[in-house]
Amino acid sequence: MRVATFSSRFLGYVFAIGLVAVTTTAFYVMRDALDTSLIALLLLIPVGLSTALWGLGPGITAAMSVFLSFNYFFIRPYYTLTVHRPSDVVVLLVFLFVAVVISQLVGRAQAGLAAATAREREATQLYELSTALSGVHGDQTIARILIEYIQVLFAGECVKIVITGPQSFSLQLPTDVTPPARSPELTLPIQAVRGIVGEIRLWRTEPAISSSEKRLLQTFASQGALVLERAALVQAESRAKVLEESDHFKSSLLSSVSHELRTPLATIKAAASSLRGGQVGWDSPARSELLAAIDDESDHLNILVGNLLDMSRIESGALKPQKQWNILGEIVESVLTRMRRQAESHQLKIDIPEDLPLVPVDFVQMEQVFTNLISNSIKYAPTNTLICIHAEVQGDKVFVQVSNEGPQVPPEHLDRIFDKFYRITAADRVTGTGLGLSICKGIIEAHEGQIWAENLPHGFAFNFTLPLTLDGAPPPQLSIEPEIL
Amino acid sequence: MSQSPNVLVIDDEPQILRALRTILTEKDFKVTIASRGEEGLTLAAANPPDIVILDLGLPDMDGIEVCARLREWTQCPIIILSVRDAERDKVAALDKGADDYLTKPFGIEELLARVRVALRHSTRTGSDQTSLVKARDLSIDLAWHHVTRAGEEVKLTATEFKLLAYLASNRGRVLTHKSILTHVWDPADADHTEYLRVYMRQLRKKLEADPDHPQHILTEAGIGYRFLADEDKE
Repeated sequence: MRVATFSSRFLGYVFAIGLVAVTTTAFYVMRDALDTSLIALLLLIPVGLSTALWGLGPGITAAMSVFLSFNYFFIRPYYTLTVHRPSDVVVLLVFLFVAVVISQLVGRAQAGLAAATAREREATQLYELSTALSGVHGDQTIARILIEYIQVLFAGECVKIVITGPQSFSLQLPTDVTPPARSPELTLPIQAVRGIVGEIRLWRTEPAISSSEKRLLQTFASQGALVLERAALVQAESRAKVLEESDHFKSSLLSSVSHELRTPLATIKAAASSLRGGQVGWDSPARSELLAAIDDESDHLNILVGNLLDMSRIESGALKPQKQWNILGEIVESVLTRMRRQAESHQLKIDIPEDLPLVPVDFVQMEQVFTNLISNSIKYAPTNTLICIHAEVQGDKVFVQVSNEGPQVPPEHLDRIFDKFYRITAADRVTGTGLGLSICKGIIEAHEGQIWAENLPHGFAFNFTLPLTLDGAPPPQLSIEPEIL
Repeated sequence: MSQSPNVLVIDDEPQILRALRTILTEKDFKVTIASRGEEGLTLAAANPPDIVILDLGLPDMDGIEVCARLREWTQCPIIILSVRDAERDKVAALDKGADDYLTKPFGIEELLARVRVALRHSTRTGSDQTSLVKARDLSIDLAWHHVTRAGEEVKLTATEFKLLAYLASNRGRVLTHKSILTHVWDPADADHTEYLRVYMRQLRKKLEADPDHPQHILTEAGIGYRFLADEDKE
């Protein structure tokens, strides 16, 4: 590039002299027809043009050559360089003066234009960078966008961004080049409010990094720092939100749990101590009743603790279903076998088609869903009414409905009944942690399904859907072999 | 059982140890207790137990490993105790040679029933292994491949019979999905639980009076299946 500048500058001198030669020749032809002073005036044209087009040096060269040719060709005696009159010296001075003034004016205008263009380019680049960085949160992504812009604009041998802090990492472009062993030509800190969060290193020898480029890179660095700062703030905010939620969850849990755990404990304590105290006769019916109470209440406690564990697992995102192809009817049957005693107060109807495809679910977790939905139905629906479990294929999903003849729920509560600790009725009417339905929701959502509640004409229903594909594969069709025994 | 059997209980919780020692001694067992895995292994080596009750959550070593180390030299039944939601551990321990499992908290009747089944199973040797298994209205002749329900012959496919025979010869015990798939199908099919689910439904339809409420083959959620024969009912 330097060679090119040199040759273009050299060409300017050649062009200036050429231009003078051409005009001199033209006026020389008309020498006798024109007045000398008019020629002097006209010869200012090549001086002015040369200065404007090629700069001060070629302008002065043109002025000198014009003066010489004017003296040689147009001032008597012709073809000599003798200056006879002092006015001719004035002409030379005027030529030089015009050349200098024009070059200054043109030079200033050009410099102003170049500066304006450069500023506009910087502004555009900065705008593009900040557009690219807006809405980006991850530190890695921010650094990657920044380094890509720097590499495109500065075209260095190598650019490296080092981010320090708790999650320190470094990025480098081009990735397949090892950074030169020498120290980088330009090192800029990424300075955020909380301190230096990283560093930009640029290796580039050819061409040397100009001061305007350095300034632009500094602007980039501070832009990057701002975005990194914003990302850190967003993260801190979402962490704070999670903590706040979990704090709220824990305090609601404590208030709910201390009451719920104490009720069965009180029963157990009362029954056990009265049995131990010997007030109850060995064969009295009271004795077996107390023992049954201890047994039932410890089961109740066990369910409560299980619910708490499930909920904390859902809250922490640790609930990962072990999906396998299962028969929905078998899951329901397994639940009902376990709940038989509890469900004696109601009539249960299972309406699951024989040819329902296999469903990809976690057996134990789906048992939990059915257990909670059925026990919720048992709690709220009047005794001896019907609880129905229905399933059918709907498109690429399986739709399941657990319906009962219990009271309807005000429409505005339908969404909220899956919230933690949410109760429509007064808490003292029905026991439980208020977690059962939100556990169902957590499990169904971990299975990529949906769950919702619905009022029926004569009752209430929980509905959920589950995808029928496992890792993209449809349910397997197994053919049963013929009977050969 | 003429002689009172030796029970080794390995559990790190003193309350459980206290309760089990009291109850099992009452039921005429000779009870040895250990609160750590290493201690349990040493005690077992010094005085070989007739049955081991092993908690999976021990402070010094993994219960699954205790199971594996016991199985290196003894075939005595091992019943594992574990909390709910630890299905993977239970399955791992069962596949490592444990005979049965109980989820804490459990009723003592349940524990005693499992202990009885396990002891009966371990004393049942090749010669006195009966080939006829009875479960309510069901009668299965393992040697003659003959199954009747309420006196009527039940027609089974080859795989269905293989499945039933495997369950019936391990009556009373829980069998993991993997162990059933490996024995009835092929070790290569050990992950194809869907085969098992489908064949189990077919089998129940033929054997159970109400397939929705099975009485013979019970589902052990997340673990496997268990066949209940008359001899295992109290």
